Amino acid sequence: MPRQLTKAARIKALRCDLARLEGTPKGGSSAHLPLGPDEVHAHLPGPGLPCGTLNEIAAEAYDHTPAAFGFTLAMLALALHSRPGPAVLVLQARCRMDFGAPYGHGLVQWGLDPGRLVIVETRNNKDALWALEEALRSPVHLAMVAGAVAGGLDLTISRRLNLAATPRATPLVLLRGFVPVGTSAAATRWRIASAPAARDPFGTFARPRWTATLERCRNGRTGKWLIEWDHVAHRLCVVEGVADRAPVERASLQRIS
Amino acid sequence: MLVAPAKGGTRIVSLNRAAQRAGLTKDGLLSNARSKVPNLQVRDADPVADSDALRRLALWCLRYTPKVAPWDEASGADGLFLDIEGCAHLFGGEERLLADLAARLKAFRLVARMAIADTAGTAWAVARHSEQNGTIVASGKEMHTLHTLPLAALRLGEDSQRLMHRLGLRRIGEILHQPRAPFAARFQAELLRRLDQALGHAPEPLMPVVEPPVYRAQACFTEPIMTQEHVLQAATHLLGVLGRDLERDAVGIRLLRLLLFRVDGEVQSIELGLAAPSRDARHIAQLIDLRLYRLGNELEADFGFEAAAVHVRNAESLAERQASLGLHEDGASPEELARLIDRLQQRLGRHAVRQLHPHQSHTPERAVRVRPASPSARLLSGPSSHKTTKSIQAESKHRTGRGKGKRQILAPAHGTAPHPGLRPEEAWTETIAAPRPLLLLERPEPADVLAVVPDGPPRHFRWRGVLHQIAQAQGPERIAPEWWRHTAEGTRDYYLVEDAQGRRFWLYREGLYGQGATPQWFVHGMFA
Repeated sequence: MPRQLTKAARIKALRCDLARLEGTPKGGSSAHLPLGPDEVHAHLPGPGLPCGTLNEIAAEAYDHTPAAFGFTLAMLALALHSRPGPAVLVLQARCRMDFGAPYGHGLVQWGLDPGRLVIVETRNNKDALWALEEALRSPVHLAMVAGAVAGGLDLTISRRLNLAATPRATPLVLLRGFVPVGTSAAATRWRIASAPAARDPFGTFARPRWTATLERCRNGRTGKWLIEWDHVAHRLCVVEGVADRAPVERASLQRIS
Repeated sequence: MLVAPAKGGTRIVSLNRAAQRAGLTKDGLLSNARSKVPNLQVRDADPVADSDALRRLALWCLRYTPKVAPWDEASGADGLFLDIEGCAHLFGGEERLLADLAARLKAFRLVARMAIADTAGTAWAVARHSEQNGTIVASGKEMHTLHTLPLAALRLGEDSQRLMHRLGLRRIGEILHQPRAPFAARFQAELLRRLDQALGHAPEPLMPVVEPPVYRAQACFTEPIMTQEHVLQAATHLLGVLGRDLERDAVGIRLLRLLLFRVDGEVQSIELGLAAPSRDARHIAQLIDLRLYRLGNELEADFGFEAAAVHVRNAESLAERQASLGLHEDGASPEELARLIDRLQQRLGRHAVRQLHPHQSHTPERAVRVRPASPSARLLSGPSSHKTTKSIQAESKHRTGRGKGKRQILAPAHGTAPHPGLRPEEAWTETIAAPRPLLLLERPEPADVLAVVPDGPPRHFRWRGVLHQIAQAQGPERIAPEWWRHTAEGTRDYYLVEDAQGRRFWLYREGLYGQGATPQWFVHGMFA
């Protein structure tokens, strides 16, 4: 047992060294965006989503894109809640055409303040990446820069974005298109699939849920959780096991009249 | 009375009502007039000042319509054409517009004769030669109106008029129905052209006045410039020149036009709008760079530009500001945000950078307005306190909810009525208790739906070729069409449905059973 402890401690020390060598932004609370659940934080290098570096989000399958989008917007809501300044959301028109555009009242119900959100819509991938970089390089303190692009990311682009995000430690999440994964310099990559939502005792939808897989995590561990978004408390929660009712068992349709 | 030297001595150019009453006429000799009226007040005519005054009046008339054209020499150079197409309703109709214009001109102590007609020619004729002032000629009645007017109402040259007089023709009606060929032979093209213009058979180009730029600077080059780099250098130089004037007047540029004069006589212009006033040459040059990039091949240099000009079309006051020492950058500054928005807008287009604003409407797609982003104080504000108190409450609720065996009731947050004095941008209160999707489709897409009972919730649906089994449905939320809009929309019943894989959709059924056409199902949005 003591030997294992030392092993864990040694790994931790090595990780710290790695982080130092890689030149990731200085530690402290501002370098991380707290997500909520400790279970998830334990897998991440710090107490939350690393800031000043690229975080990728991808959908499990093409038709789970809205779920991945919801996860991205949950991150955005978290950032807007804990950091001052506006947020920039860059959307490539093709992503928008497929599943629609962010809807103001929906954003409000998601716990997000549309008044502090600037939406940038671009026609192609190149413009979207340019806009992301431009926002990151601007001296404005942004709560978050988020993006949704239809195309993929290669190593060069992701490193450019990383470099642009580092000086001001701006949180950066990018919802990637459903294309084969190339190598990228992202700190974390999440893969999101939708899951039946949590419901209140009367069967109405209460909180959306996703199966979130942390596929890649620099200086951390991978993991997989069933996560739900609490839009009122502005936090993600990990749902334990299958304690909740399975949605299909209920004869839910009878409820409605 | 105004006079000017002319053939045979000094002649009367213009005279007031008192002089007319004394029996004087236009074009009479001044010496004759002096003998008729001993106490005559005579001034020299000043046509340059007249045309200046007319131009000023034309610019003032831009308050009625964007197209105002002063009369040219042939029309007498003493009046204005106002193209009020599409503008009259803003003043409550043509009569009201005319009355308003008359009242204001009277306040300027100007005597005006006015008329409204479909063609500039008829309006001119009626304004000048009708007995009644302020006539409105109904559409299609031009010929009828012109019938009784003298031939002078056709804006003919002196020679043609004299010839007409000799032929014994006095009124327009006398030539309206005559064969055209003999007239064409005798009067060149002028008579028939004027007639056709008055009747609307021939076009009459008007030269509208253009508001002069507030500030301008221009430069000519010894060699034509052809590259983007040189255009930018020229623009930066011109902006630097303008900068001194702008600084002196403590204003910044809001709307700017860059004109590039090509060697072959073409003029290329680029118009730039800024999110906030600025006089920073480097920033604006950067915006021009981005715009040129966006224009791509649309801007053709061909043989190069030989001159360039920068016109500031709109300037707003911009207070003096101390240049920062660079010790600590204030990242939350509105200027920096304005610059970011500017840069994004110049490259991607003004409407590509947007913000959502709430709008009072029950129809979901109308309840949100999309507007170009502007650097408001609200954008720069921190996390709102309102949300914080709420989240604390909710958090405590959440914790108690975790206790086992305790049944909790989580009612959906019921909306409170919006505060009446609330500014529109702050009205994102949760007035909508029913769920709203995170993503809304641009236009609802039809879906094939199977429901257990016709007007019940759906059981499964096919959308974009994929069949979705519905595990759970919530609804309906009935949204009736807004009766004050005359649209063919039906009543909508919205359902939030979740399929077996946990994907959540917003479906609605349009129309009611037993009333008209069979109701149709649509997918309108996506929940995450």
